[in-house]
Amino acid sequence: MSDHPQPAEIFDEYALGALEGEELRALEQHVKDCPECQGEVQKARARVALLALSAPRTAPSSAVKERLMSRVAAERAGSAQDRSRASAPAAAQKRGSFWNWGIAALAAIVALAIATGVLALRNHHLHTRIQSLESQQTQQAAHEERQAAKMARAEAILDVLTSPNTLKVSLISAQAHPVPQGKAFYNPAKGLVFYAANLPHLPSSQTYQLWLVPEQGNPVSAGIFATDSRGNGEVLLPPLPPGIAAKAFAVTVEPAGGKPQPTGAKVLIGAVS
Amino acid sequence: MSPGLHNEDAGATDLDLIRRVAQGDELALAGLYDRYGALVYSVAYRVLNDVGAAEEILQDIFYQLWRTASNYDASRGKLGAWLLVSARNRAIDRLRRRQPVETTTEGIAASLDLESSVARDELMAKVKSACDGLPLPQRETLELAYFGGMTHSEIAQRTGEPLGTVKTRLRSALQALRQVLNP
Repeated sequence: MSDHPQPAEIFDEYALGALEGEELRALEQHVKDCPECQGEVQKARARVALLALSAPRTAPSSAVKERLMSRVAAERAGSAQDRSRASAPAAAQKRGSFWNWGIAALAAIVALAIATGVLALRNHHLHTRIQSLESQQTQQAAHEERQAAKMARAEAILDVLTSPNTLKVSLISAQAHPVPQGKAFYNPAKGLVFYAANLPHLPSSQTYQLWLVPEQGNPVSAGIFATDSRGNGEVLLPPLPPGIAAKAFAVTVEPAGGKPQPTGAKVLIGAVS
Repeated sequence: MSPGLHNEDAGATDLDLIRRVAQGDELALAGLYDRYGALVYSVAYRVLNDVGAAEEILQDIFYQLWRTASNYDASRGKLGAWLLVSARNRAIDRLRRRQPVETTTEGIAASLDLESSVARDELMAKVKSACDGLPLPQRETLELAYFGGMTHSEIAQRTGEPLGTVKTRLRSALQALRQVLNP
């Protein structure tokens, strides 16, 4: 067609953002109704995008990556804490079906998640301070304020859990030798919280590994975990593909570092009822 | 391979890594940073000539990637393209103190393959030699438009050249690039 904008480079000028005034208005007017020229604009955008590669290659300071990763880690800790707290009331309603140590375990999970969150937030706070001293920027202020509010709440809860006046009631197995047990709280949309108790201590060459057994396909690793001196272990909000329908959960003993698929003895297994 | 790239992630595709980022995998984000961080930074620094501001843009872009990875739609453009276009747009917005405009990479998808370091280096060499081959006045005009985010008349004002000269130089530069870089 003769009335397409001319010359051909006008599309590149448009993609660059160099056009203005009447030329810009006329081109936009035409392109709006002309699929052929819309294609030309896209091609021009691709060409122009390549010009970025003509910038002299300069390496950023390694501190940028460190700041990015600590910002991300702090946010993860913050949202994990929110999610644990949010899931607690829903889980507690089902307490009739809990094993006898379920409530203590749940409290421990919440306390642990909060304590982890508080430590991470403190850590983040230090990072943020260093960052703001370095850059003399105040942009972080709003972010810090939100983190500070979260931290205050977490500390209030932790205060109840750790205060000398707080009644602490531990529930233990009625059996003389408590057997290994595990409890998985799984919400396909929100994630997995797993708590295990009374597991035998493993040598450093081995690890426990938690598996999500989907309704279809191979088990999916939900992470490896170690146990403390009393045989307690946990896996909190491991990265899992969202929305997997679970058929069962299992714990196996694997070589240190874990395996992509289970190879060792199953020490715990529980089907979704 | 860039130094520091996690060996296990060096061969992973952008799509694998971005999916893992969407699941909250920090190592996958680190892998993408190792792959593209220097490119993003180089563009922002070329525009702003300011280490602190370029570092901030670099961090912001990857933080946004972390936050929005689950919305990433591979059919709307390759990740490398999105990162480069974002770096340029954000840096120019900051340079010119403009309101940020949304980055669109639609249509850039197929042509800008930056995923493998070999393809990246090849493309970079091609672009650099194309730019180096331009007569200096054309090249400067093109750089003011691309890295300075200036329009025809802004370039004319900056360089003191007549508007017609600026337009001719820019068009000649773009014509030469079309021949070398036609996607």
